[in-house]
Amino acid sequence: MKRRSFMKTAIVASATGAAITSGLISSNAVFAASHEKDFTKAKSLDEAMKLMGVTDVAESEMIKIKAPEIAENGAVVPVGITSEIEGTTEIVALISNNPTPYAAKYTIGAKAKAAVKSRFKMAKTTDVVAIVKANDKFYTAKSNIKVTKGGCGG
Amino acid sequence: MAKSTIKLRTKDKDGSIQVKALITHPMDTGLRRKKNGDKIPAHYITEVMIEANGESIMMANWTGSISKNPFISLNYAGAKGDKVKLSWKDNMDKSDSLEKTVK
Repeated sequence: MKRRSFMKTAIVASATGAAITSGLISSNAVFAASHEKDFTKAKSLDEAMKLMGVTDVAESEMIKIKAPEIAENGAVVPVGITSEIEGTTEIVALISNNPTPYAAKYTIGAKAKAAVKSRFKMAKTTDVVAIVKANDKFYTAKSNIKVTKGGCGG
Repeated sequence: MAKSTIKLRTKDKDGSIQVKALITHPMDTGLRRKKNGDKIPAHYITEVMIEANGESIMMANWTGSISKNPFISLNYAGAKGDKVKLSWKDNMDKSDSLEKTVK
């Protein structure tokens, strides 16, 4: 199984490499394809933001993070993120003190409201940072959550 | 086939449809260890697609930082009779989907 998946990745990698050199795929498409592996590798908040290409972010009060102040169980922390900024297309949730801060990305369709709710794991007391992309600009908001019992094992 | 891993609820709330879903999944981060010290391999959902009448409503890219048996909820502008479909895919190439008509 491992060998098979390795072969697959190798083939895909070489194919994309060839495509770039021949200029078939724009760098943007490559970025999108490799998004997940790169992002989950980021070990710190800054690193994750850098990988995402987020350079200048404006703090916005129009993003609301609904989360408990104190979470007793870090394995299940309900977090709701709502953006009232018009033209919101993406919501990214980052959990700054987790081993891999990049937690989730939501791509919002035309009909959907820019509001999502999920349950996250948090290793320890941390900031939850929401990054909202609207009209090619980035906005951010954060909320601190105290975790009394970690949820990422270890 | 075994029971679906997805529980999907849809509700009409004055022109906006609320979608709530629960997925049964271990969502292992790859950092946890078994009692004998062996690492539990990472196994988590990477992609969740929610569609209504074939049109994409929301796509979520998840990582191991999402809790076990994840829950997702969202609202969209729709009407009764819409066919809402949720499908997921994980890092071990497993997947599942479920379709439901909004009542």
